[in-house]
Amino acid sequence: MKDGLSNMEEVYSREAELFTAYLVSSPLKEREKKLYNKAMIHFDLKLSNFEKELLKRMMKSNTNMAIIDAGLAILKPSSLVRRKLFTMLAILEASPNYTSEFFSKKYSFSYYFKLLYIGVRAVFRTMVGVFIVKKIERKCI
Amino acid sequence: MHLNFDYLVVGSGATGAIAAKTLVDKGVQVGLLDIGEEDKVYKDLIPNADFLSIRKKDIEQHRYFLGDQFEGIPWETTRVGSQLTPPRSFLTRFSEAFFPFDSESFQPLESAAKGGLGGGWGLGSYVFSKLELEAVGLNEYEMNASYEDVISYIGVSGIYDDGGKYGLGSNKKIQPAMKLDVNHQKILKAYQKNKSKLNKKDIYVGQSVLALLTEGKLNRKAVQYRDMGFWSDTNKSAYRSWMTIDELNESPNFKYHKKCLVTRFEEFDGGVRVFVKRTDTNEVKVYTCKKLILSPGVLGTARIVSRSFDYKKEKLPILCNPYSYMPCINRRQLGKKVDQHQTSFAQLVMYLDDKKNNFDVGVAALFSYRSLLLFKLIKETPLNFADARIIMQFLQSSFTIAGIHHPEKGSDNKFISLVKDTTSYTGDKLVGQYILSEKELFKNKNREKKFKSALTTLGCYPMKTIQTPAGGSIHYGGTLPFSENNELFHVLKNGKLGGTKNVYVADGSGFKYLPAKGVTLTLMANANRVAKNVLKNE
Repeated sequence: MKDGLSNMEEVYSREAELFTAYLVSSPLKEREKKLYNKAMIHFDLKLSNFEKELLKRMMKSNTNMAIIDAGLAILKPSSLVRRKLFTMLAILEASPNYTSEFFSKKYSFSYYFKLLYIGVRAVFRTMVGVFIVKKIERKCI
Repeated sequence: MHLNFDYLVVGSGATGAIAAKTLVDKGVQVGLLDIGEEDKVYKDLIPNADFLSIRKKDIEQHRYFLGDQFEGIPWETTRVGSQLTPPRSFLTRFSEAFFPFDSESFQPLESAAKGGLGGGWGLGSYVFSKLELEAVGLNEYEMNASYEDVISYIGVSGIYDDGGKYGLGSNKKIQPAMKLDVNHQKILKAYQKNKSKLNKKDIYVGQSVLALLTEGKLNRKAVQYRDMGFWSDTNKSAYRSWMTIDELNESPNFKYHKKCLVTRFEEFDGGVRVFVKRTDTNEVKVYTCKKLILSPGVLGTARIVSRSFDYKKEKLPILCNPYSYMPCINRRQLGKKVDQHQTSFAQLVMYLDDKKNNFDVGVAALFSYRSLLLFKLIKETPLNFADARIIMQFLQSSFTIAGIHHPEKGSDNKFISLVKDTTSYTGDKLVGQYILSEKELFKNKNREKKFKSALTTLGCYPMKTIQTPAGGSIHYGGTLPFSENNELFHVLKNGKLGGTKNVYVADGSGFKYLPAKGVTLTLMANANRVAKNVLKNE
C-alpha cells in the first residue's frame, strides 16, 4: 500500500506532465518532474474546495486548462491554482531542456499572423474562462 | 585606561566600508563591528560564463535562478525585497529578527550582510549639484574632494553627454562609458533625433554613470557584458562594499569583528564604550575606543542613538525616495533576437529638469529586461500563461524597464520611533509611518506623466506604472538632520553626533533632502568626508 507522500508525488507528477504539455507543448522530462514535486512539497499549498474543483476540471484537457487559467488571470490572479502553474513555468524556464521556449528569436514577417491568431485566441479564452470560472464558483458556494 | 581601538566603525555597507578605508589608509588602528552575513550557498554554484551559455548548458541553473527553497519564484511581488535574486537574498537574511520594523505604510529594507545593501546596489553613481548638496546639508567644496577620492577608488564609468551634467559634475577621473546594447542604442538614436523637442520639455537623456569598471583596476577586471550582474560578482567589475572589507582585512591596522550587533554606546572621559550583542552566542560584549563612527545605515543608526539617549525622542523624521517603474515596449526592437552583449544594469538615464537648475530633478533609469527571466513578467499579464508565454517571448527583445525615482523632502507624516518590545531580539522595535501628501502625490504623478510622454516620443510605449510601497527605493535619510547647533538627535556639519564628544555619523542620517538621483555615491563621499573630519578633530 502506498503511503500519503507517494500518493501526493503521483498527483504532483501528473500535474507536472499536464502543465508542461499546456505551457510549452512538450513532454516533461524526469528532472523537471522531480523539481516540481519538490516545489509542491515545499510550498504545501492548501487549495480551497473551489480551487480543487477548478484543478480537477483543468486536468481533463489542455483546452480546459487554458480556459480556466485565462478566467483566473482576470478574476483571481492570485489563486493557488495559478501559483502551481506559475511554479511549473519557472521550473521550465530555468531548465536547459526548455530554454528555447523562452528565448527571443529572429521572427519572420509571417509570424505576426501567428501572433495575431494567438492574441485573438487569448482574448476568446479569457471571455469563455471568466464565464466558466464564475459558474464553477457559484456551484461551489 | 586601555582602549580596544583608536577608531571603531559600525557597519560594513557602502558608508562603513569607505569610512574604514579612509581611516586605515591614514595608518590609524581601526576596528569594524558588523553582523557580516555571507552567501555560502550560491556563490560557488554560478559558472563563470555568460547568461545565454548558462541558460543553454547548466543543468544546475534552477538552484541559483529559482533558489534551493524556491525563493526565486516570488508570488507577492509588491513586497519590498522580493526583487532580490536567490544569490542576493542573503542580504536581508535575519533582518526581521535583528531589525524588527512594524508599520502599515512603510516597508524599509535592512541588511545584516557583509557589505550591507551595497551588495545589491544598481551601481548608479551621481554627483549631486550645488543646490542639491545645499538642500541635503552638505558643503560643495568638501564634497567635491570626497567625490573625487571615492570615484577614483571604486572606479566609475560614464560619459559627458546630455546626462553628464546631472550625474558627473566636474569629475574627471572616470573610465569610458560601457557599451550600450542594441535596444538602448536605438533609444539613444531616437533621443538624438527628437532632442530639441524633448529638451523643450526639460527632458535630457544620457548614458548611465555606474560604479562599473570598463577598464581593469588592480585585481578587478573590466565588465565582460555577460548579463549576470543580478546574480554574481564574478570578475569584480561591479563595485561592492565587501570588496573593500576584504581588501582592508589584509591591512595590519584593521580588525573586522563579525557577529556583532551594536546596540548602544556611552561616552566616558577620553573615549566611548560600545555595547555589542553577539548574534551567535547572544553574549553582551563591550568594546572601547577613542572615537566611534556610526554607519550601520540610517535606521540602524536611529536605533543605536535612540537607545543610547534613553529613548528620549519620541519621533525621528525619515526620508525615502518614492519609486515606481514602467515596463515599456520599444517598437524598434519588436521580434528581434537579443544579443548576448549586454549588462543587467541601467544603460541610459532620463532626467526631467523642469526647474532648469539641476535641482528637484526627476530620474528614470532605463534597463533591458532579460536576465531576471521571463516568467516573472508573464505573471503580470492578464492572460492565460500559455498564450502569454508566446506573446512575451516575442516581445522580450523590446522590453525596457524605466525605474523612476522622485526627489523627497520630509514632513510630519514621515517618521519612525523606537519603542520597547520585550519579545524582540534587542528588546525594542522600530515603528513608523510614511504618508505622502496629496500635493506630493500629484507632483509625482505629474512627473511620471512627463516621463511617459517622453518615453512614447522615443518609441518606448509604457504598458503600466507600478508603484512600489514606501521604502521600496531603499534610499533612506534624514533621521538625525544636519544642524549647526550641538543638539541631541542631530548631526553637526562635520559629522559629529550632536551632544557627544567622540561619536560621529558617517551614513545618510543627517541628509535633509534626498534628490531623485541615486544617493549611494554621495553617501560614500560623505563617509569619506566624515572620516577625514574624525582624523582632523584629534
